[in-house]
Amino acid sequence: MRKRLTSSLLLACISFAMPSVASECGKVTIADMNWNSASLIANIDRFILEHGFGCEAELVPGDTMPTGASMIEKGQPDLAPEFWPNAMREALDKGVAEGRIRYAGTTLSDGAEEGFWVPAYMVEKDPTLATLAGIKANAKLFKHPEDPSKSAFMGCPAGWNCQISTSQLFNAMKLADDGFELIDPGSGAGLAGSLAKAYERQEAWFGYYWSPTSLLGKYKMVNVDFGSGIDKKHFQECITQNDCLTPKITMYPPSVVDSVVTEDFAKRAPQVMAYLAKRSFTNAQMNILLAWMEDQQADGEYTVEHFLNNYEDTWTKWLDEATIQKIKKAVKEL
Amino acid sequence: MSDKSWLSEIPQLDRHQLLDLKKTLDGAFRNFSREYGDNIEAFFDPLLSFLIWFEKLLLSSPWWLVIAALATFAYIASRSWKLTLGIIVAFFLIGFFGMWDDTMRTMSIILVSTLLSITLGVPIGVSMARSNRVQSIVTPILDVMQTMPAFVYLIPVVMLLGIGKIPGVIAVIIYSIPPVIRLTNLGIRLVDKEVLEAATAYGASPMQRLFGVQLPLAMPNIMAGINQTIMMALAMVVIASMIGVKGLGQPVLKSITNQYFTLGLLNGLAIVALAIIFDRISQTYAKRTLQNFGGQ
Repeated sequence: MRKRLTSSLLLACISFAMPSVASECGKVTIADMNWNSASLIANIDRFILEHGFGCEAELVPGDTMPTGASMIEKGQPDLAPEFWPNAMREALDKGVAEGRIRYAGTTLSDGAEEGFWVPAYMVEKDPTLATLAGIKANAKLFKHPEDPSKSAFMGCPAGWNCQISTSQLFNAMKLADDGFELIDPGSGAGLAGSLAKAYERQEAWFGYYWSPTSLLGKYKMVNVDFGSGIDKKHFQECITQNDCLTPKITMYPPSVVDSVVTEDFAKRAPQVMAYLAKRSFTNAQMNILLAWMEDQQADGEYTVEHFLNNYEDTWTKWLDEATIQKIKKAVKEL
Repeated sequence: MSDKSWLSEIPQLDRHQLLDLKKTLDGAFRNFSREYGDNIEAFFDPLLSFLIWFEKLLLSSPWWLVIAALATFAYIASRSWKLTLGIIVAFFLIGFFGMWDDTMRTMSIILVSTLLSITLGVPIGVSMARSNRVQSIVTPILDVMQTMPAFVYLIPVVMLLGIGKIPGVIAVIIYSIPPVIRLTNLGIRLVDKEVLEAATAYGASPMQRLFGVQLPLAMPNIMAGINQTIMMALAMVVIASMIGVKGLGQPVLKSITNQYFTLGLLNGLAIVALAIIFDRISQTYAKRTLQNFGGQ
C-alpha cells in the first residue's frame, strides 16, 4: 500500500512533464454490486485488470437497477461484472440495440438459481413442505410477526427486480387465499437478517432467495417445487412484467448472469473483452468461495488473494500466458 | 513484516488475531440471540400489540375524523388558526395524492416512538441534572447513540427481533432520544438558583420543587428537546423502512432503487409536511408555556 502511494505520488509529480502514463485501457470504473458474489467478482476483475492489463481500475458501489440505467444513459460505470439482466431485459436490449452497452460474457456458467425457499430442517420433519401444495396446506406454520391470524411470505425488497416476479408469483399461487401476506423486508440486509434469525432459532421461514449466496452456502435451504415446471416464455412475458394481470405459476428459469460493459469501454479495451468472454464461475465454485469468505469474514481484497492463490486452475484458463505471468508476479508481491 | 518498525507502521493485530476476535464476538452474539431472543421478543410483545392497535386505529378511522382530531389538538396546543388551517390543507393534500395510509403508518410509529422517548428521556434528563456523576456517564453514551451509524445497530437488532415494527421503533428511539435527555438536563440546570431557594424557604419538598418549580421553568427547553426528538425520529423513517417498517419510507426507498423521481419527491414532501406540522405545534406550545411562566 505504501509502495503504491509513493509511486502514485511520483506519478503525480512527473505527470507535468509526461503526457500520459496509463496504458490504452485507461481509467475503468467497475460496479461493485451490493451482494457478496458480485462484489467478489468485481474485486477479482479489478485485480486482474489492474495488474494484468495495466488499467486504472476503480470500484464504484452499484445496484442492478441504478447501475443498469446509469450504464445505458451515462456510460458509467464501464463494467458490471455480475449483472442479472432478467427483469431489466427490455431496457438492456434497447441499450444493446442503440449501441450503448454490450454483453461481454457469462459470469455464472450454469446460471443462478432463484426461487422460494424453506429451511431444510422443516422439510426433514415434513417432506411435503418441499412442494407448494404442502406449504399451502401448512400455512399456519409460517407465523406472521405482526398479525397472528396471518402467515408470512418474505418477498423481495422494494425496488429490486425480483420484487415484480415474487409479487406476480404470489398472486398466481393465490397465497393470499391461504392467509399469506407478502412482506417487504425493506432491504437485502432485512431479508438476509430475517432468514438468519429464523434459521438460528430453527423457526419457520418461507420466502424468496437466490443462489449463489453465502447465506445459502451456510444455511441448508430447500428450493420449493411449485409443481408447474418452467415456462420460460410466460416468465419473461408476464411474471417479470409489472402490468401483466394474468400471471400463471412457473418455476424460476435459471437466471442468466452476464458481464455487461459499455460500448465505449468495449471498443477501448478489446483484450479485456477477451478476458471477460472467458471469465466464468460455476455455482458450486461460487458457493464454496462465498462460504469461505463468510467463514473468514474476509473482505473482497483478501478473498481475491485467496482465490488467486488457491484456484490457479480456474483463472489461468481465462488469460494468455503473458498476462498470467504478470498476475502471478503481482500475487507474489501481495 | 519484520523489517517494518513500529515507528513507520502503526502496531496492528495480525489478520488471524483480528479474525479470531471477530469470530468470537459474532459467535457470542449468535449464542446470546439463540438463548434469549425469544424472551426478549416476548418482553416487547405488549409494545408490539400497542403499535399494531394504534396503527389500525389510525388506518380504520375515517379521514375527516383524523384530520379533525389533529386540527383540534393543534388548535389547543398552539391557539393559532393559521396553523390549524395549514394542517387541514396539508393532510387533505397528502390524502389527495394517495399517501394517506403510508402517512398514517409513519405517524403512528413516530408518535409512539416520541411518546416512549419522552417517558424514558425526561426522567433520565432529570437524574442527569441532579447528579454530575450521572451526567458524566450518560453524556458519552448519548454521543455514541447520536453518531453511531444506524446500520451498525440495525444488524444485531434484526438478529434479535427480526424485521418489522419493534426493531424499527428501537432504532428510531436510539437515534432520536438524545435531544430530549440533553435539553431536559440543560433546562433544569438553567433554573435560577434564587427561585429554588425561595421555593425551599417556603418549605417545598424536593418533589414539590421538581414538579412545581424546576420542570415548569424548564418546560420551554424540554419542549425544544421534544421538538428535536420528533424531527430526528422523522429523519429515521427511511432507514427504519430498510428493516421492513411500513410507511412513507418504503416508497422513498423504492424510488431510490428505481429512479422514480416523482414518487420519491411526493413521499419526501409528505415526510416534510409531517415534520413541519409537529414542529410548529410543539414550538408554539413551547412559546406559550414560556409566556405563561416567564411572564415575558
